[in-house]
Amino acid sequence: MNSVGRPAFFLAWALSIIWTQAVQAKSVTIDDSGTQALEPAVAMHWKTAVPTRSQAGALMIGTTTIRVRINVLPWLHHSGRIYLALPAQQPGSIGLSWTTQGRFLPGQLQSGNRVLVYSGPIAAPFMEDTLTFQFSVNGALMGRTVPVTYHFEMDED
Amino acid sequence: MPITPPSLQREQTGLTPVCRGVQHRQGRLHRAIAGAVLLSAVSSAASAYTATLTAASPKTIYLQVGVGSFTADYIDGGQPGKNTTVNTVSATIAANVLGSGTAQAMTTNSTATQSYWDGYTYCTVPAQLYIGGFYRTTGAATAAASVTATVPTSLTDATGDSIPFSQIQWTSSGNGDTGAEPFPAGTFVHGGVQNVGSMASNTWNESCWNFSYSNNTVPPAGTYTGVVLYTMSSP
Repeated sequence: MNSVGRPAFFLAWALSIIWTQAVQAKSVTIDDSGTQALEPAVAMHWKTAVPTRSQAGALMIGTTTIRVRINVLPWLHHSGRIYLALPAQQPGSIGLSWTTQGRFLPGQLQSGNRVLVYSGPIAAPFMEDTLTFQFSVNGALMGRTVPVTYHFEMDED
Repeated sequence: MPITPPSLQREQTGLTPVCRGVQHRQGRLHRAIAGAVLLSAVSSAASAYTATLTAASPKTIYLQVGVGSFTADYIDGGQPGKNTTVNTVSATIAANVLGSGTAQAMTTNSTATQSYWDGYTYCTVPAQLYIGGFYRTTGAATAAASVTATVPTSLTDATGDSIPFSQIQWTSSGNGDTGAEPFPAGTFVHGGVQNVGSMASNTWNESCWNFSYSNNTVPPAGTYTGVVLYTMSSP
Protein backbone atom coordinates (compact mmCIF):
# COMPACT_ATOMS: atom_id res chain seq x y z
CA MET A 1 0.00 0.00 0.00
CA ASN A 2 2.66 2.49 0.94
CA SER A 3 4.82 1.90 -2.11
CA VAL A 4 1.84 2.70 -4.33
CA GLY A 5 0.57 5.71 -2.41
CA ARG A 6 3.74 7.71 -1.96
CA PRO A 7 4.48 8.67 -5.58
CA ALA A 8 0.90 9.82 -6.05
CA PHE A 9 1.04 12.01 -2.96
CA PHE A 10 4.37 13.54 -3.99
CA LEU A 11 3.05 14.40 -7.42
CA ALA A 12 0.00 16.17 -6.01
CA TRP A 13 2.14 18.16 -3.61
CA ALA A 14 4.53 19.28 -6.33
CA LEU A 15 1.72 20.41 -8.60
CA SER A 16 0.20 22.38 -5.79
CA ILE A 17 3.40 24.33 -5.21
CA ILE A 18 3.80 25.16 -8.86
CA TRP A 19 0.24 26.38 -9.14
CA THR A 20 0.55 28.61 -6.09
CA GLN A 21 3.66 30.35 -7.34
CA ALA A 22 2.07 30.97 -10.69
CA VAL A 23 -0.88 33.00 -9.36
CA GLN A 24 0.33 34.72 -6.19
CA ALA A 25 1.74 38.22 -6.33
CA LYS A 26 4.89 38.87 -4.41
CA SER A 27 4.69 41.38 -1.57
CA VAL A 28 7.68 43.52 -0.75
CA THR A 29 7.93 45.74 2.29
CA ILE A 30 8.46 49.32 1.17
CA ASP A 31 11.21 51.47 2.57
CA ASP A 32 9.49 54.14 4.66
CA SER A 33 12.57 55.54 6.36
CA GLY A 34 11.48 59.03 5.31
CA THR A 35 8.32 58.77 7.37
CA GLN A 36 7.94 60.96 10.42
CA ALA A 37 5.59 60.86 13.40
CA LEU A 38 4.25 64.35 14.09
CA GLU A 39 3.46 63.41 17.68
CA PRO A 40 5.81 61.15 19.56
CA ALA A 41 3.03 59.72 21.70
CA VAL A 42 -0.04 57.55 21.33
CA ALA A 43 -1.97 58.12 24.53
CA MET A 44 -4.84 55.69 24.88
CA HIS A 45 -8.09 56.86 26.45
CA TRP A 46 -11.34 55.11 27.18
CA LYS A 47 -13.59 55.44 24.15
CA THR A 48 -16.42 56.23 26.54
CA ALA A 49 -16.04 57.69 30.01
CA VAL A 50 -18.52 55.20 31.38
CA PRO A 51 -18.58 51.48 30.67
CA THR A 52 -21.54 49.60 29.30
CA ARG A 53 -23.40 47.01 31.36
CA SER A 54 -21.13 44.35 29.90
CA GLN A 55 -17.40 44.42 29.31
CA ALA A 56 -18.01 45.39 25.70
CA GLY A 57 -17.47 48.96 26.84
CA ALA A 58 -13.81 48.47 27.59
CA LEU A 59 -12.42 49.85 24.34
CA MET A 60 -9.53 52.31 24.46
CA ILE A 61 -8.57 54.54 21.55
CA GLY A 62 -5.60 56.73 20.73
CA THR A 63 -4.72 59.00 17.83
CA THR A 64 -1.47 60.01 16.22
CA THR A 65 -0.48 61.72 12.99
CA ILE A 66 2.12 60.29 10.64
CA ARG A 67 3.74 62.08 7.72
CA VAL A 68 4.30 59.15 5.40
CA ARG A 69 7.07 59.20 2.82
CA ILE A 70 7.71 55.89 1.15
CA ASN A 71 10.40 55.07 -1.36
CA VAL A 72 8.85 53.54 -4.46
CA LEU A 73 11.87 54.08 -6.71
CA PRO A 74 12.19 50.35 -7.43
CA TRP A 75 8.77 50.45 -9.09
CA LEU A 76 9.12 53.79 -10.88
CA HIS A 77 7.20 53.97 -14.17
CA HIS A 78 5.32 50.79 -13.35
CA SER A 79 1.92 50.22 -11.86
CA GLY A 80 1.66 48.97 -8.34
CA ARG A 81 -0.65 48.20 -5.46
CA ILE A 82 0.38 49.48 -2.07
CA TYR A 83 -1.05 48.09 1.15
CA LEU A 84 -0.92 49.18 4.75
CA ALA A 85 -0.26 46.05 6.78
CA LEU A 86 -0.83 45.56 10.50
CA PRO A 87 0.60 42.15 11.34
CA ALA A 88 -0.95 39.93 13.97
CA GLN A 89 0.96 40.64 17.15
CA GLN A 90 0.80 40.58 20.91
CA PRO A 91 -1.06 41.25 23.08
CA GLY A 92 -4.06 40.56 20.82
CA SER A 93 -6.51 42.12 18.42
CA ILE A 94 -5.68 45.72 17.54
CA GLY A 95 -7.83 47.96 15.40
CA LEU A 96 -6.46 50.71 13.19
CA SER A 97 -8.37 53.26 11.16
CA TRP A 98 -6.91 56.21 9.33
CA THR A 99 -7.73 59.26 7.31
CA THR A 100 -5.48 60.74 4.64
CA GLN A 101 -4.90 63.94 2.73
CA GLY A 102 -5.80 62.23 -0.53
CA ARG A 103 -2.66 60.62 -1.87
CA PHE A 104 -3.52 57.34 -0.18
CA LEU A 105 -6.91 55.84 0.51
CA PRO A 106 -8.44 56.03 3.98
CA GLY A 107 -9.40 52.77 5.60
CA GLN A 108 -9.47 50.53 8.60
CA LEU A 109 -8.29 47.08 9.51
CA GLN A 110 -7.73 44.65 12.33
CA SER A 111 -4.32 43.24 13.15
CA GLY A 112 -3.40 40.28 10.98
CA ASN A 113 -4.65 41.99 7.85
CA ARG A 114 -3.71 44.57 5.27
CA VAL A 115 -5.72 47.08 3.26
CA LEU A 116 -5.10 48.65 -0.13
CA VAL A 117 -4.10 52.31 0.13
CA TYR A 118 -2.95 52.93 -3.45
CA SER A 119 -3.33 51.30 -6.83
CA GLY A 120 -2.03 52.83 -10.01
CA PRO A 121 1.06 54.09 -11.75
CA ILE A 122 4.20 54.90 -9.81
CA ALA A 123 5.17 58.23 -11.33
CA ALA A 124 7.67 59.52 -8.79
CA PRO A 125 10.37 57.91 -6.67
CA PHE A 126 8.62 58.89 -3.42
CA MET A 127 4.99 58.98 -2.38
CA GLU A 128 3.91 61.21 0.47
CA ASP A 129 0.77 61.79 2.51
CA THR A 130 -0.23 62.71 6.03
CA LEU A 131 -2.20 60.02 7.79
CA THR A 132 -4.11 60.36 11.03
CA PHE A 133 -4.10 57.00 12.74
CA GLN A 134 -6.55 55.91 15.38
CA PHE A 135 -5.65 52.76 17.25
CA SER A 136 -8.28 50.86 19.22
CA VAL A 137 -7.48 48.17 21.77
CA ASN A 138 -9.51 46.43 24.43
CA GLY A 139 -8.58 47.87 27.81
CA ALA A 140 -8.09 44.34 29.08
CA LEU A 141 -4.99 44.19 26.87
CA MET A 142 -3.61 47.51 28.10
CA GLY A 143 -2.21 46.41 31.43
CA ARG A 144 1.16 47.56 30.15
CA THR A 145 2.45 49.61 27.22
CA VAL A 146 1.69 47.97 23.90
CA PRO A 147 4.14 48.26 20.98
CA VAL A 148 2.33 48.05 17.65
CA THR A 149 4.22 47.48 14.41
CA TYR A 150 2.88 48.31 10.96
CA HIS A 151 4.37 48.80 7.51
CA PHE A 152 3.61 49.47 3.87
CA GLU A 153 4.08 46.80 1.27
CA MET A 154 3.98 46.63 -2.53
CA ASP A 155 2.43 43.80 -4.47
CA GLU A 156 4.39 42.85 -7.53
CA ASP A 157 2.62 41.04 -10.31
CA MET B 1 -2.53 57.78 38.21
CA PRO B 2 0.71 56.82 36.58
CA ILE B 3 1.16 58.00 33.03
CA THR B 4 3.98 56.55 31.05
CA PRO B 5 4.80 58.65 28.02
CA PRO B 6 4.45 56.54 24.91
CA SER B 7 6.81 56.85 22.04
CA LEU B 8 7.17 56.03 18.41
CA GLN B 9 10.24 54.10 17.47
CA ARG B 10 11.68 53.31 14.12
CA GLU B 11 13.36 50.07 13.27
CA GLN B 12 16.74 50.74 11.76
CA THR B 13 17.33 49.05 8.46
CA GLY B 14 20.87 50.27 7.91
CA LEU B 15 20.20 50.65 4.19
CA THR B 16 19.38 53.68 2.11
CA PRO B 17 16.36 53.58 -0.17
CA VAL B 18 18.59 53.66 -3.24
CA CYS B 19 20.54 50.63 -2.07
CA ARG B 20 17.35 48.74 -1.51
CA GLY B 21 16.13 49.55 -4.99
CA VAL B 22 19.28 48.22 -6.54
CA GLN B 23 19.09 45.05 -4.52
CA HIS B 24 15.56 44.51 -5.60
CA ARG B 25 16.35 44.73 -9.30
CA GLN B 26 19.36 42.50 -8.99
CA GLY B 27 17.21 39.98 -7.26
CA ARG B 28 14.80 39.89 -10.16
CA LEU B 29 17.57 39.20 -12.64
CA HIS B 30 18.91 36.30 -10.66
CA ARG B 31 15.70 34.96 -9.21
CA ALA B 32 16.09 31.52 -10.71
CA ILE B 33 19.50 30.81 -9.25
CA ALA B 34 19.52 32.83 -6.08
CA GLY B 35 15.98 32.78 -4.77
CA ALA B 36 16.94 32.08 -1.20
CA VAL B 37 19.54 34.84 -1.14
CA LEU B 38 17.06 37.33 -2.63
CA LEU B 39 14.45 36.64 0.01
CA SER B 40 17.01 37.20 2.70
CA ALA B 41 18.10 40.53 1.22
CA VAL B 42 14.55 41.85 0.85
CA SER B 43 13.76 40.83 4.36
CA SER B 44 16.67 42.76 5.79
CA ALA B 45 15.51 45.85 3.91
CA ALA B 46 12.10 45.75 5.55
CA SER B 47 11.05 48.97 7.18
CA ALA B 48 8.34 49.34 9.78
CA TYR B 49 7.11 51.61 12.52
CA THR B 50 6.48 50.61 16.08
CA ALA B 51 3.96 52.77 17.88
CA THR B 52 3.90 52.34 21.62
CA LEU B 53 0.39 52.65 23.02
CA THR B 54 0.08 53.62 26.65
CA ALA B 55 -3.05 53.98 28.75
CA ALA B 56 -3.20 57.69 29.64
CA SER B 57 -5.99 57.59 32.21
CA PRO B 58 -6.54 53.96 33.03
CA LYS B 59 -8.51 54.11 36.27
CA THR B 60 -11.86 55.66 37.09
CA ILE B 61 -14.35 54.77 39.82
CA TYR B 62 -17.87 56.06 40.41
CA LEU B 63 -20.23 55.17 43.25
CA GLN B 64 -23.71 56.58 43.73
CA VAL B 65 -25.83 55.85 46.80
CA GLY B 66 -29.06 57.82 46.57
CA VAL B 67 -28.77 60.80 44.30
CA GLY B 68 -25.71 61.28 42.07
CA SER B 69 -24.50 63.57 39.32
CA PHE B 70 -24.02 63.05 35.61
CA THR B 71 -23.92 65.72 32.96
CA ALA B 72 -26.36 63.58 30.94
CA ASP B 73 -27.18 59.94 30.53
CA TYR B 74 -24.14 57.92 29.58
CA ILE B 75 -25.58 56.89 26.23
CA ASP B 76 -25.94 60.59 25.42
CA GLY B 77 -22.32 61.30 26.23
CA GLY B 78 -22.78 62.01 29.93
CA GLN B 79 -19.83 62.33 32.26
CA PRO B 80 -19.91 61.46 35.96
CA GLY B 81 -19.68 64.21 38.56
CA LYS B 82 -19.48 64.69 42.33
CA ASN B 83 -22.57 64.98 44.51
CA THR B 84 -22.18 65.55 48.25
CA THR B 85 -25.83 64.98 49.16
CA VAL B 86 -26.43 62.63 52.10
CA ASN B 87 -29.80 60.93 51.68
CA THR B 88 -31.83 59.50 54.52
CA VAL B 89 -33.85 56.33 54.94
CA SER B 90 -36.43 56.45 57.73
CA ALA B 91 -39.52 54.92 59.27
CA THR B 92 -42.05 56.29 61.72
CA ILE B 93 -43.36 53.53 63.94
CA ALA B 94 -46.84 53.91 65.35
CA ALA B 95 -47.21 53.14 69.03
CA ASN B 96 -49.74 50.39 68.42
CA VAL B 97 -47.31 48.34 66.29
CA LEU B 98 -44.10 49.12 68.15
CA GLY B 99 -42.23 45.96 69.01
CA SER B 100 -44.76 43.74 67.25
CA GLY B 101 -42.08 41.86 65.36
CA THR B 102 -43.60 42.86 62.06
CA ALA B 103 -40.95 44.53 59.97
CA GLN B 104 -41.70 48.12 59.08
CA ALA B 105 -40.86 49.42 55.63
CA MET B 106 -38.55 52.40 55.48
CA THR B 107 -38.60 55.12 52.87
CA THR B 108 -35.96 57.42 51.47
CA ASN B 109 -35.78 61.09 50.64
CA SER B 110 -33.65 60.21 47.61
CA THR B 111 -35.19 61.23 44.29
CA ALA B 112 -32.95 58.95 42.23
CA THR B 113 -35.14 56.70 40.13
CA GLN B 114 -33.42 56.64 36.75
CA SER B 115 -30.21 54.94 35.82
CA TYR B 116 -27.64 57.39 34.55
CA TRP B 117 -26.57 54.71 32.13
CA ASP B 118 -29.56 55.09 29.83
CA GLY B 119 -32.23 57.03 31.69
CA TYR B 120 -34.25 53.90 32.38
CA THR B 121 -36.55 54.20 35.40
CA TYR B 122 -34.89 51.56 37.49
CA CYS B 123 -35.90 52.32 41.09
CA THR B 124 -39.14 53.48 42.71
CA VAL B 125 -39.09 56.22 45.32
CA PRO B 126 -39.64 56.68 48.15
CA ALA B 127 -39.57 52.93 48.69
CA GLN B 128 -36.18 52.26 47.11
CA LEU B 129 -32.70 53.65 47.41
CA TYR B 130 -30.57 53.58 44.25
CA ILE B 131 -27.02 52.26 44.50
CA GLY B 132 -24.80 51.94 41.44
CA GLY B 133 -21.56 52.81 39.75
CA PHE B 134 -18.67 51.51 37.74
CA TYR B 135 -14.99 50.73 37.95
CA ARG B 136 -12.74 51.39 34.98
CA THR B 137 -9.31 49.82 34.76
CA THR B 138 -6.95 48.29 32.24
CA GLY B 139 -5.43 44.86 32.14
CA ALA B 140 -6.81 41.35 32.15
CA ALA B 141 -8.03 39.28 35.08
CA THR B 142 -8.57 42.31 37.25
CA ALA B 143 -10.19 41.73 40.62
CA ALA B 144 -13.53 43.39 41.25
CA ALA B 145 -13.88 46.63 43.16
CA SER B 146 -15.63 46.23 46.49
CA VAL B 147 -18.24 48.40 48.16
CA THR B 148 -18.35 48.39 51.93
CA ALA B 149 -20.57 49.97 54.57
CA THR B 150 -19.08 51.39 57.74
CA VAL B 151 -21.83 50.92 60.29
CA PRO B 152 -22.08 52.38 63.80
CA THR B 153 -23.19 50.10 66.59
CA SER B 154 -26.51 51.82 67.09
CA LEU B 155 -28.86 54.58 66.10
CA THR B 156 -29.20 56.99 69.00
CA ASP B 157 -31.58 59.70 70.13
CA ALA B 158 -30.96 62.99 71.94
CA THR B 159 -31.13 61.42 75.36
CA GLY B 160 -28.71 58.62 74.62
CA ASP B 161 -31.17 55.82 73.99
CA SER B 162 -30.20 53.46 71.21
CA ILE B 163 -31.46 50.96 68.66
CA PRO B 164 -28.98 48.44 67.23
CA PHE B 165 -28.20 49.00 63.56
CA SER B 166 -28.63 45.27 63.13
CA GLN B 167 -32.37 45.91 63.38
CA ILE B 168 -32.24 47.26 59.82
CA GLN B 169 -32.08 45.10 56.71
CA TRP B 170 -32.69 45.49 53.02
CA THR B 171 -33.81 43.57 49.96
CA SER B 172 -32.42 44.19 46.49
CA SER B 173 -34.04 44.37 43.07
CA GLY B 174 -34.51 46.65 40.10
CA ASN B 175 -37.23 47.24 37.54
CA GLY B 176 -36.95 44.60 34.84
CA ASP B 177 -34.07 42.83 36.56
CA THR B 178 -33.48 39.12 36.50
CA GLY B 179 -30.64 37.21 38.10
CA ALA B 180 -28.31 38.16 40.89
CA GLU B 181 -27.97 41.75 42.00
CA PRO B 182 -24.52 43.31 42.19
CA PHE B 183 -25.57 44.78 45.56
CA PRO B 184 -27.52 41.93 47.18
CA ALA B 185 -29.88 41.87 50.15
CA GLY B 186 -28.39 42.08 53.62
CA THR B 187 -28.63 43.19 57.22
CA PHE B 188 -26.46 45.79 58.88
CA VAL B 189 -23.85 44.47 61.26
CA HIS B 190 -23.89 45.56 64.90
CA GLY B 191 -21.10 48.04 64.32
CA GLY B 192 -18.22 47.50 61.93
CA VAL B 193 -17.39 47.36 58.25
CA GLN B 194 -19.30 44.99 56.01
CA ASN B 195 -19.19 44.20 52.32
CA VAL B 196 -22.38 45.16 50.49
CA GLY B 197 -21.44 44.43 46.87
CA SER B 198 -18.81 44.40 44.20
CA MET B 199 -18.25 45.67 40.67
CA ALA B 200 -16.42 43.74 37.99
CA SER B 201 -14.05 45.94 36.05
CA ASN B 202 -15.44 47.90 33.11
CA THR B 203 -19.06 47.16 33.83
CA TRP B 204 -21.95 49.28 35.00
CA ASN B 205 -23.60 47.92 38.17
CA GLU B 206 -26.78 49.04 39.93
CA SER B 207 -29.47 47.85 42.34
CA CYS B 208 -32.43 49.27 44.23
CA TRP B 209 -32.63 48.67 47.96
CA ASN B 210 -35.80 48.39 50.05
CA PHE B 211 -34.93 48.98 53.70
CA SER B 212 -36.98 47.80 56.64
CA TYR B 213 -36.83 47.97 60.42
CA SER B 214 -37.18 44.63 62.26
CA ASN B 215 -39.33 46.15 64.99
CA ASN B 216 -38.89 43.44 67.57
CA THR B 217 -37.90 45.66 70.50
CA VAL B 218 -39.64 48.48 72.34
CA PRO B 219 -37.21 51.38 72.65
CA PRO B 220 -38.17 54.63 74.37
CA ALA B 221 -40.02 57.11 72.18
CA GLY B 222 -37.68 59.38 70.29
CA THR B 223 -35.97 60.14 67.02
CA TYR B 224 -33.09 57.77 66.46
CA THR B 225 -30.45 58.53 63.87
CA GLY B 226 -27.22 57.08 62.61
CA VAL B 227 -25.01 57.48 59.58
CA VAL B 228 -23.69 54.66 57.39
CA LEU B 229 -20.75 55.44 55.18
CA TYR B 230 -20.43 53.59 51.88
CA THR B 231 -16.95 53.19 50.44
CA MET B 232 -15.82 51.86 47.09
CA SER B 233 -12.33 50.39 46.90
CA SER B 234 -10.59 49.35 43.69
CA PRO B 235 -7.67 46.92 43.51
